[in-house]
Amino acid sequence: MNSKNVIVVKDLLLSYKKGVPIIRDTSFTVKSGSFVFITGPSGSGKSTLLKSFYGELKPQAGFLQIGGVSLNDIKPAKLAFLRKYLGIIFQDYKLIKEWTVKKNVMLPLLIAGYSKEVCEAQTKKLLKHVRLTGKEDYYPLELSGGEQQRVAMARALAHNPVIILADEPTGNLDEYSSRVIWSLLESANEQLGTTIVVVTHSIPTNLKVPFKHHYIEDGRVYEIA
Amino acid sequence: MRSLKNHLSLIIPLFAILFAAEFYFVIEKILKNYEVYLSRDYSIVVVSQKSLTLEELKAYEPSILKIEELDSERIIERLKKSGIELNYSELKNFMPKFYKIYLESFPDEESLRKIKGTLLEIEGISRVETFTKTHEKIFHFLSFLKNISKFFLLIIFVTSVMLVFKQIEIWNLEHSERMYIMALFGAPLWMRTAILVKLSVIDTFISTLLVYFAYLYLLNSNYLKNLLGTEEIIVTSEDIFSDSFWLFILGLTISLFNVFIVSMREPKQPV
Ligand SMILES: Nc1ncnc2c1ncn2[C@@H]1O[C@H](COP(=O)(O)OP(=O)(O)O)[C@@H](O)[C@H]1O
Ligand SMILES: [Mg+2]
Repeated sequence: MNSKNVIVVKDLLLSYKKGVPIIRDTSFTVKSGSFVFITGPSGSGKSTLLKSFYGELKPQAGFLQIGGVSLNDIKPAKLAFLRKYLGIIFQDYKLIKEWTVKKNVMLPLLIAGYSKEVCEAQTKKLLKHVRLTGKEDYYPLELSGGEQQRVAMARALAHNPVIILADEPTGNLDEYSSRVIWSLLESANEQLGTTIVVVTHSIPTNLKVPFKHHYIEDGRVYEIA
Repeated sequence: MRSLKNHLSLIIPLFAILFAAEFYFVIEKILKNYEVYLSRDYSIVVVSQKSLTLEELKAYEPSILKIEELDSERIIERLKKSGIELNYSELKNFMPKFYKIYLESFPDEESLRKIKGTLLEIEGISRVETFTKTHEKIFHFLSFLKNISKFFLLIIFVTSVMLVFKQIEIWNLEHSERMYIMALFGAPLWMRTAILVKLSVIDTFISTLLVYFAYLYLLNSNYLKNLLGTEEIIVTSEDIFSDSFWLFILGLTISLFNVFIVSMREPKQPV
């Protein structure tokens, strides 16, 4: 996971149905430790591109590499291995509703096989970071949307991932929760060197870290800055 | 309530499978016990003009366990009592010898006919009486049940395994969101399916317990004892208990095999 280009996309073709490309003729790279925004009109394929990054959608053609691992013909076991180094945030949070807040945050730590003590301590720390101390034993549906997304944020950070992939993380959140999310993404990037790829329709204006901006239109990805 | 229904729809087919399997085991065990019991009780009566020894008979028919000569005095006594007018003192001189022959195991009709044939060929033997008793009828009835139960076992087995599979598929759907999210964070297969495995183990355990108590109840009811006419041949509660262990293994194998099949499919985003 120490290659300089942590994401390599070359002549990528993504589609759900044969003959209906969503992303095509796309090539770009993401450097380790960078902060990247992907914007574009609704339905332009932002989520689709992100899906291909975490192995939910296989490339139809071209080349896709994440952290030095090719995703073109990846086997399930290898994909599971790769995903341990990713932290993913979704617009609809994707929390496990049968589990408490605490257990949700713990998930990546349990998968990584940490001891109970480490899991507990790390979870406590993370919930403090996302300002949810005291809500450990709540269930996701007992929380507001903003609170749920902060739980998802804590989960995405729990295992110190190499890359964080976020799909419209503040899409429909309140002011306060959005601020917490952005500042945590910033500090993960700044202090831990985590590579951040965020799909959004509006880039926050008060960002302190340098970032790159990719724009998707007509199935192609253009680098703006 | 929904979760109870969910459990029942696995417990009931598992119960059917295990109940049928245990039915077969129990019948087989009762049959074995019954065979020993009947062979102890059963004998053939042979009429012979000369004395017979066990060694001599065994040379012809190895399945003979022992022979017992019937006292001719007692036979004459009986005839006298029945009031038949005969010259009994003369009769005594040329009266043949009567023997009771015991066999090592309870014979079926086919081997009994053979034994009868073999005995009749022995010099001196003039008559062979094989008696059929109610015991045999029960024995044949049990053999018949055993054979039928094989057939039913197969049908119950196939339909129940299909039901078990359906239920685990339902669980899989119910928990697919959770399993999908776990997969997104790189959880291995065993971790994702842990919930299905847990449910399977619990339900198999409950089914086994239910089968155990059902048979315990059947054995303690007087129905079987009355039917078979004796207590000593019936399987014991210890037998049922040790069978339960195998039933649990059997049930677990079936349900875990189904979990395995169901979860082999790639985790897909639930719709
Ligand atoms: N699972 C799917 N199956 C088929 N088509 C899909 C699927 N998901 C998205 N699409 C289509 O792909 C296109 C891009 O969708 P998406 O990547 O979600 O856009 P957005 O940029 O808004 O995130 C849309 O036209 C959408 O209809
Ligand atoms: Mg989208």
